[in-house]
Amino acid sequence: MSIEVRDITKKFSRYPALDRVSLKVETGELIALLGPSGSGKTTLLRTIAGLEFPDDNEGRVLFDGNDVTALSAYKRHAGFVFQHYALFSHMDVFENVAFGLRVIRGGKRPPKAAIEKRVLELLDAVQLSGYGKRLPGQLSGGQRQRVAFARALAVEPQVLLLDEPFGALDAKVRKELRRWLREFRDRVKLTTIFVTHDQDEAFEVADRVVLIDKGKIQQIGSPAEVKKAPANVFVAEFLDLEWPGGSSAPQSSPALPLSA
Amino acid sequence: MACRLGTIAGKELPEAMAGVTSFPTTARVERPVRATAESPVIRAVLISVVFVFFTLFLLLPLFVVFKEAFSQGVAAFLAVFRDDATASAVRLTLLTAVIAVPLNTIFGIAAAWNLTRFHFPGRSFLITLIDLPLWVSPVIGGLIYVLVFGANGWFGAWFIDHDLPIIFNTPAIVLVTMFVTFPFVARGLIPLMQAQGTKEEEAALSLGANGWQIFWRVTLPKIKWGLIYGVILCNARAMGEFGAVSVVSGHIRGKTNTMPLHIEVLYNDYQYSAAFAVASVLCILALLTLIIKTYAEWRAEQQLAEAARHTDLSHKP
Repeated sequence: MSIEVRDITKKFSRYPALDRVSLKVETGELIALLGPSGSGKTTLLRTIAGLEFPDDNEGRVLFDGNDVTALSAYKRHAGFVFQHYALFSHMDVFENVAFGLRVIRGGKRPPKAAIEKRVLELLDAVQLSGYGKRLPGQLSGGQRQRVAFARALAVEPQVLLLDEPFGALDAKVRKELRRWLREFRDRVKLTTIFVTHDQDEAFEVADRVVLIDKGKIQQIGSPAEVKKAPANVFVAEFLDLEWPGGSSAPQSSPALPLSA
Repeated sequence: MACRLGTIAGKELPEAMAGVTSFPTTARVERPVRATAESPVIRAVLISVVFVFFTLFLLLPLFVVFKEAFSQGVAAFLAVFRDDATASAVRLTLLTAVIAVPLNTIFGIAAAWNLTRFHFPGRSFLITLIDLPLWVSPVIGGLIYVLVFGANGWFGAWFIDHDLPIIFNTPAIVLVTMFVTFPFVARGLIPLMQAQGTKEEEAALSLGANGWQIFWRVTLPKIKWGLIYGVILCNARAMGEFGAVSVVSGHIRGKTNTMPLHIEVLYNDYQYSAAFAVASVLCILALLTLIIKTYAEWRAEQQLAEAARHTDLSHKP
C-alpha cells in the first residue's frame, strides 16, 4: 500500500511539530524518518497512524490514494510498534498477540481455533514459541520488542509503522533485530516507515531516508544519495559530513545528537 | 554517615543499615544512628501509647457496640429487625446504596477518564473540585439540596406540583448520598490512570479496537483493584452517612429514616439494645469493608507498582 501525506501541519502548544510536511511512500518501500529528538518525526508517524490529527483542513493523509485523514486509528489498520512496546501488561504474550484478532467486529472475526493457530505461527516466526503464557514483565527488552512486532503483524496490516523500534535495546540485540527487519521486509513486501535518531540504523536498513528537523523535511533520498550530496547545512552536520560551504560542520562536534 | 557506619561496623552499607537496631549498644554510639530513629525506650513508650490509644478509642467502643447489642440475648437482637421501622430503615439504606454507588462508580470512572486522558483548560480546577464534598461539612451538603429542591427552593415547588417531592423523600436521600460519596471512586482512579498513561490504549486503538472494546479489555482490567477500592469506600460512606441525610430526610419513621438516623431515634427513645443492634450491623459492614479495602488497596498498589516498573524497565536499554 502506498502512503502519501500532503501539507501536514501540527502544532503543540506554540511551536510547530510539523510544518507543511509532504511525503510520498511507494508500496513495499522501507523508509526511515531520521532526525534529532523533537524534530517532529514521531509526530509525523503518529499522524500517519491516526493517533494524531493535522491541525488545519489542508493536511491530508492518503492510503493508496484514498483519503483517510478523518479516520480514527482503529479504522486505518496500520500496524504500529511503539517505542516502549506498550504491551498489555495484564495479558500474557499469547493474548497480546491475539488481541487484534479478538477485537475484529461485524462477524468477520476468525474462529477461536484459527486465531490460536495464527498466534502460534506468529510466535514461532519471532522465535518466541513456548513463551505464550509469560507476562510482558517476565520478558527481556528484545523479547518484548518481538512480541510487539508479532502483535502488530497479527492483523495483517498493509503498512507497518515503527517508532524508534530498537531505541531501547542494547547494541547487540539492536543489530540482530535490524538484520531481522531487513530480511522480513525482503520476504514480505510490506510498506514500512520507521522513526530513528540513529543514522547507522537508517542507512543500513532503509531504501530511502527522510531527514527531518524543526518540523520540516530537509532532504529525501537513498542512503547513497544523501551521503554523497547533503542538501543543506543541517543534513551535513547531522550526518557528520563535509559541507562544501566550509564554515559550518565542525569535524568532531560533541553537540551532535547522533549518539543521544 | 554512610562512611562512619561502614568503618565502625566493618560491614557493607546495606548490611549495616539492616543491623541498625542493635548498632547503638554494641558500638558505644550514644546518638541514634539515623536522624529519624529514636532510642529503644522512647520507641517502646511511643508504641505503647499507640496501642493504648488504639484499644481505648477503637477496639473498646467496637466491643461495647456488640456487647450492648446482645445484652438482652440473641432472640432480642433478632427481634429488633422484625420491627417495621427498623426493617424499613435497613431497606432504605440498601436502596440508597444500590442507586448511589453504581451511579457514582460510572461518574467516577468517567471523571477519571476525562481528567487523565484529555488536557483542557480548567482541568486542575476540576480535579480540585471533585474533592469538594470531602472538605465541605456534610450538613452543608444537605442544606444545598434543601435550598434547591425544598418547598421554598428553586425547583422544589415544580417537583411538589408534579407529585414528586424531592426533599423529605427518598430522592433527596439518594441525591445527598451521591454528593457526599462522589469523590471516592474518582480519587482512587486518577493517580492510577495517570501513572499507567495512554500507551496501551493507543496500542489497542492501532490494533483496531474501538473505544468500548478498549475500555473493557485494556483500561478496566488495569484499574480493577483501584476501582474496587473506591467502590468499597463509596459504599461504606453511602450506608453510614448521617449529617447530610439528616438534613433532607425529615425523620419520618418507617419512611425516610436510614439506618444511621434510625439508630439515633432508637437511642433517644432509650431503646439502647435495639439501637446497638442496628449499630452492630453497620459495624459488621465497616469491618467487612475494611477487610476488602485492605486487600483491594494491596492489589491496587501492586498494579501501580507494576505500571511504574513497566515504564521503568522499558526505558532501560
